[in-house]
Amino acid sequence: MEITWEDGTRSTFTGEQLRWACPCAECRGEAGVPGRLSRVKTLGDAELRIRDVTLVGQYALQVAFDSGHSTGIYTFPYLKRGLMA
Amino acid sequence: MGTPTSQQVLEALGHIKDPDLGRDVVSLGMIKELDVSPQGRVSFTFELTTPACPVRDRFKSQAEDAVNGLPGVTAVEVRMTANVRPAFMRPKPSEILPGVKQTIAVASGKGGVGKSTVAVNLAAALRKSGASVGLLDADILGPSVPVMTGSRVMPQQVNGLLQPIEAHGLKLMSFGHIYPSGQPTIYRGPMVGKAIEALMTQVDWGRLDYLVIDLPPGTGDASLTLGQAIPLTGVAIVCTPQDVATDIAIKALQMFRKLNVNALGLIENMSWYVCPSCGHRHEIFSHGGAEAAAKRLGVPFLGSIPLEEGIREDSDAGTPVVISRPESAGAKAFVEIASQVAARTSIQSFRQLPVINVH
Repeated sequence: MEITWEDGTRSTFTGEQLRWACPCAECRGEAGVPGRLSRVKTLGDAELRIRDVTLVGQYALQVAFDSGHSTGIYTFPYLKRGLMA
Repeated sequence: MGTPTSQQVLEALGHIKDPDLGRDVVSLGMIKELDVSPQGRVSFTFELTTPACPVRDRFKSQAEDAVNGLPGVTAVEVRMTANVRPAFMRPKPSEILPGVKQTIAVASGKGGVGKSTVAVNLAAALRKSGASVGLLDADILGPSVPVMTGSRVMPQQVNGLLQPIEAHGLKLMSFGHIYPSGQPTIYRGPMVGKAIEALMTQVDWGRLDYLVIDLPPGTGDASLTLGQAIPLTGVAIVCTPQDVATDIAIKALQMFRKLNVNALGLIENMSWYVCPSCGHRHEIFSHGGAEAAAKRLGVPFLGSIPLEEGIREDSDAGTPVVISRPESAGAKAFVEIASQVAARTSIQSFRQLPVINVH
């Protein structure tokens, strides 16, 4: 996935990078409960393949993977930081 | 003496700068249908980005002066028109609200500061300037728009879509129209979000220059749903002057900043009161709080609205004060604020959202 930002600069991410950086509560964990990404070591191909990307308002992207997982909302600042929390 | 070429006319007009867009009016594409007759008569259309343009008259005289100054010109005819451009340069219209060019949210954080009054009058003032305007009441639990516009009627359904209610030249839709009884709507947050989405997707809004969206107080579900569902052109924040209101208005503003929504600016409501018996000006809720907050936050201050009995009376009677008493101080304040909002909104037409490519 390639993003061209408002200022013309570009960022590129693979499905694998995005999937392991999914910020959703199920993947990250919430309220002290660890998330799925900290419990699994590997993810299947369908989990890593991007199916669709949609704009959320004007502040984030929602990435849907072939596995059906699509709850992650990746904010622009998060993407610009190269997926670093 | 020869007549000037079109090129020379455009060069002369190119010295006129749009104060909000920061560029000259020729490169912005505002000069159209330029004609120079062999007798030296110059005529052209000056297409503004909003009919509520605050510098409309200034542009017209600047254009006349610039062209009249050229040698060989015998007469100048400037036709002033306006064409609202869609927010954000986008390759295709969005799926939600495809016919709406600009979406303007009115929010406050705190309740009771006059959001709905501002939203209704902002919409009415934009309409008066000649734009096509809709008003979406996103306050699902406490809808005020039906009363304030005197439009307590049920919407019709055509081809599965609700037809907006027409009143005062505006297209309106509110949960108060859909459920007009005195019964309360008792919804948890996610249902509020669904209801707001439905007001956008299940209503036949058609083609509009501006859709004004009256938000409920708070920085929760309603605002978040809206900020996620559509790329809002911007948000105008209403507050009263006292600290307890400005503090919360600032929180609302910060929330929209997190959603990357442009802050059109702050509006101070109930800014002063002129006593009808003694003529003395009272500042019941203090004064200038919103302007100071705007300065602190680095956002535009859009104007102040007085506390007037007429505004309240006409709201209860169902006619926005800009229509019922256009000469009142309150109405004039709303009209001025509407043109400031329109100018700030136009700037967003020249912004581009990030482009995403998936290979």
